Amino acid sequence: MSNNGITRRNVLRNGAGVVAAGALSAPMVHAQGTGGTLKCGFWDHWVPAGNGIMRELCAEWGRANRVEVNVEFITSVGNQNLLTINAQAQSRSGHDVLSFPTWEPAAKHELLEPMDDVMGRLAQKYGAVTPAAEYLGKVGGKWAAVPAVSGTQLKPACTRFDLMKEHAGLDMQAMWPNKAERGPGADGWTWEAFAAAAEKCKAAGVPFGLPMGQFTDAVDWVGALMNSYGAHMMDARGNATIRNNAKLRQAVEMLVRISRALPDDVWAWDDASNNRALISGRSALIFNPPSAWAVAKRDQPQVAEKCWYAPAPAGPEGRMVGYLPYFWGVWSFSRMKPAAKGLIEFLSERPQAERQTNTSSGYDIPPFLSMSDFKIWETEGPPTGFAYNYPVKPHQNQTTSVAFAPAPAEFAVQAYNNGLNTKLIARIVQGGETVDQAMGWVERELTTIRRGG
Amino acid sequence: MAADGTLAVPTAAGAGSGRANTLQRFARRRSTIAFLMTLPLLVVVVGLVGYPAAYGIYLSTLNRRMTGFMEGDWLPTGLGNFEILFDSDTFWMVVWQSCIFAITAVLLKALIGFWLAHMLHHIPTKGQRKWRGMLLVPWVIPPALSTLGWWWMFDPSYSSINWILNIFAVPAVPWLGEPWWARASVIIVNVWYGAPFFMIMYLAALKSVPEQLYEAAAIDGATSWQRLRYVTLPMMANIISITVLFSLIVTFANYDIVRVLTNGGPRDLTHVFASYAFQVGILSSNIPRGAAVSLFMFPILAVCAFFVLRGVTRRNKEQM
Amino acid sequence: MSATAANRGIPGIYHKAGSLRAERRWALWTAYISLIIACIIFLAPPVYMLLTSLKSNAEISDLTLNPWLIRSPTLENYEAILGNPIFIRFFINSAIVTTCVVVLTMVISVLAAFALARMRFWGSQVLATGVFLTYLVPDTLLFIPLYQIVGGLGLLNSVWGLILVYPTLTVPFCTWIMIGYFASIPKELDEAALIDGASWSQMLLKIFVPVAMPGIIAATIFAFTVSWAAFVYPTAFVTTAESMPLTIGVVSQLVRGDTFAWGQIMAGALSAALPPVIIYAFLMDYYIAGLTAGATKG
Repeated sequence: MSNNGITRRNVLRNGAGVVAAGALSAPMVHAQGTGGTLKCGFWDHWVPAGNGIMRELCAEWGRANRVEVNVEFITSVGNQNLLTINAQAQSRSGHDVLSFPTWEPAAKHELLEPMDDVMGRLAQKYGAVTPAAEYLGKVGGKWAAVPAVSGTQLKPACTRFDLMKEHAGLDMQAMWPNKAERGPGADGWTWEAFAAAAEKCKAAGVPFGLPMGQFTDAVDWVGALMNSYGAHMMDARGNATIRNNAKLRQAVEMLVRISRALPDDVWAWDDASNNRALISGRSALIFNPPSAWAVAKRDQPQVAEKCWYAPAPAGPEGRMVGYLPYFWGVWSFSRMKPAAKGLIEFLSERPQAERQTNTSSGYDIPPFLSMSDFKIWETEGPPTGFAYNYPVKPHQNQTTSVAFAPAPAEFAVQAYNNGLNTKLIARIVQGGETVDQAMGWVERELTTIRRGG
Repeated sequence: MAADGTLAVPTAAGAGSGRANTLQRFARRRSTIAFLMTLPLLVVVVGLVGYPAAYGIYLSTLNRRMTGFMEGDWLPTGLGNFEILFDSDTFWMVVWQSCIFAITAVLLKALIGFWLAHMLHHIPTKGQRKWRGMLLVPWVIPPALSTLGWWWMFDPSYSSINWILNIFAVPAVPWLGEPWWARASVIIVNVWYGAPFFMIMYLAALKSVPEQLYEAAAIDGATSWQRLRYVTLPMMANIISITVLFSLIVTFANYDIVRVLTNGGPRDLTHVFASYAFQVGILSSNIPRGAAVSLFMFPILAVCAFFVLRGVTRRNKEQM
Repeated sequence: MSATAANRGIPGIYHKAGSLRAERRWALWTAYISLIIACIIFLAPPVYMLLTSLKSNAEISDLTLNPWLIRSPTLENYEAILGNPIFIRFFINSAIVTTCVVVLTMVISVLAAFALARMRFWGSQVLATGVFLTYLVPDTLLFIPLYQIVGGLGLLNSVWGLILVYPTLTVPFCTWIMIGYFASIPKELDEAALIDGASWSQMLLKIFVPVAMPGIIAATIFAFTVSWAAFVYPTAFVTTAESMPLTIGVVSQLVRGDTFAWGQIMAGALSAALPPVIIYAFLMDYYIAGLTAGATKG
């Protein structure tokens, strides 16, 4: 980095005055303006093209601002991204721009550069941010990191409309057509109806492919169901709210019912298992972004043609959809803060956001509600418009939700990474414990987490 | 071997007494040279094992943010992490799983290894090299990589093992989904990886049993079972015990197979000490508690190490 | 499987003396049958990995096909892997780390083993025992404090951090093998050398190293395989793809979150396993000598 600076200075001294003037006046916001290298660690995208577009956008921005942008991709498989974040926090060195999953911005906020200026400018242009992103990204009134476009995903239902119609008697295409209206039966798309459909599909040999392990896909959908029942395990002050919690018990009973209608080994499924279940044609429904569809389109096109998105089923307290956001953050020990902020702002703007979403086959969800109208979700197919209901749209009456909200981030992050909610259900269904025993266990775990704080 | 090495020296010094003067100077310089030669080794042993071990003990007494000692409710300050572990169901489950895992896997490895070594020993010497070469392959591939292959063979939707089972009308097995199957899978992979090592050790031991002993036994009319019981086993007892104890240590501390195959799931029922320490210490960034978890391996390993060491010195004495 | 075969086999061997030839033939049959079964089980996973690596994604994801057969073999997975710059990077990292560690290990352990086997000095016996004990300390016991130490030195995410810590895995055992080899060299040799006025370094380089060459090769192979296959330390200390060695690179980077890349994963895993397998194919006897050093020497 310093080498770079020196050569650049030499070049300037050697009379490249015109270039120098250009460089200084370049719109590389409030930066020192002498370039340098910006090291970025983005989430390693599950849609193969998703990495390419980030490289491209960064290169464009780097050219315009005379900054060399070094892009790396960090996978979330095997929690590699968590390892990276912890290692960088520990050694106080690392990337200048780094992708943080769900709870990490809040957990590491003391070490992160506040992003209020960037978010302020973006909010002025694009309006409100989806509530879950604001809840996770804003700590003590300050934005700890900017909700990212690339990698941020929702987990509504990716259904096989043919199997759903044949075995569960539900016409998903009619209920949730590819236009901004609710079809007949859309109001009946509740967890009750969902459980009944799951049972029928299991009987027909095409069970729903819902993971129940400790990975994000599992924790997110279980968390969404609990939130739609208003069932919380911990309150905002960090007290466990397990005992005498009727809503929690109701949600747990529903989860137990649904999980009995799943394949036997869902307890060990990872984030890829549900995709494989869909692609292999053995499953009528999964909760997943369109990456599963994209792979099916490549390898098993006859399966992809039968996919259709529907919002998450509704519970007594609303329709909540699992939300797995990534955030772009800047360490407070980074030496390239202004440039890093400039790049993050550039990536968050609508044209760049749309390009990210487009190349990822509609996978990436921008944080601003005003951006839920990208054309890609209407045109991508076959079947055309299958992803129309993948993003959160006003007619769906749906909100984003995060498992373990509203618990304080420092505790929630551990409960989330440990998959306490899926383990609770697993103890009952697979381990044969009573609901009370399992609740007692989860309460002890939460206390342990609190004590270790 | 330690005894062997150090005993060599007096003989050397005694033999050269004719030139006492030179040798004395030599001896004076010798210890300096010897010390310098062992210095890098000392640095490795003290700096990379001794110091981290002590530092690990210190770490385990700190609180999560490492700003002070971890307080306990009923244990004195500094032992709070251990107290939390004692109170945690998950931790006790991990202890018990590690023990089941290590004991079952080592037993199976020893039995299979012994059987295969015996079979190899039976066939004509000409063919032995070829068979030995093939049977040692699992041990040669880095376990993290071969476990990837097993993982794919255990995949819920695409399991090729289940495909074979289906031919024989056996229902599909939820290899990694059901706790007992998941534990069995981890053990199977570990046995697959480790059995060749036992085989090769036992084969070496079998070859060192003098042929005359068998001939004598045959003349006495001993059956093959009796030959095994009264000739082979006693001759191999030492190697068997050292190999088993050594493998117990390695298996007990295993990490890569669990990490790749199950990552501790379903619901922590396949975690062993190492993977749980990793989960708690590095993934959940609670370094002190992670250090506390891995320290629990120490007493068990120390017991094994004591017996291994005793076995080694006893063997040395017998050989001399 | 073989264990159950064992239980069945033993009463079978139990025959009256006299029908010695029949017993021999029977034993031979049992031996070959169990070896064949064992070979099938032992070789099935690598073979299946090879098969998968030669299939296209569409073929892998088609459930109607026999997974143990290939319909249309393709090299596309290997092309993708070997054309992937990050995979080449992993390979280079592994090569750098392994080479440095092997050289470092051999220098440290040959010097120390010579001193411990041939020169008596204060505490040498304690040290020899200590070295052996260190070998019994598994890497998973110390990786957390080492994580802090390596982090404190600013060597997380660096191959130098790995080169620093790997010797804990290799040095103790290699020293132990070398002590065994050196101790087995007749004392007359060094007495003669001493009387001829050879210095200690001459004695080591001219006499001990050449004579103990098989031991040195065995120890080198051991150090090579251990540092090539090391998993715990790189998982904990290296998180950027840039400085990952092969094992952890294949496990963490090729396994993509939720897509099908099994062909590539298997191709990557097999390519990563190739160097130890090649060494083993050519130097099997040294390899086995290294493995069994603990049993036959001691």
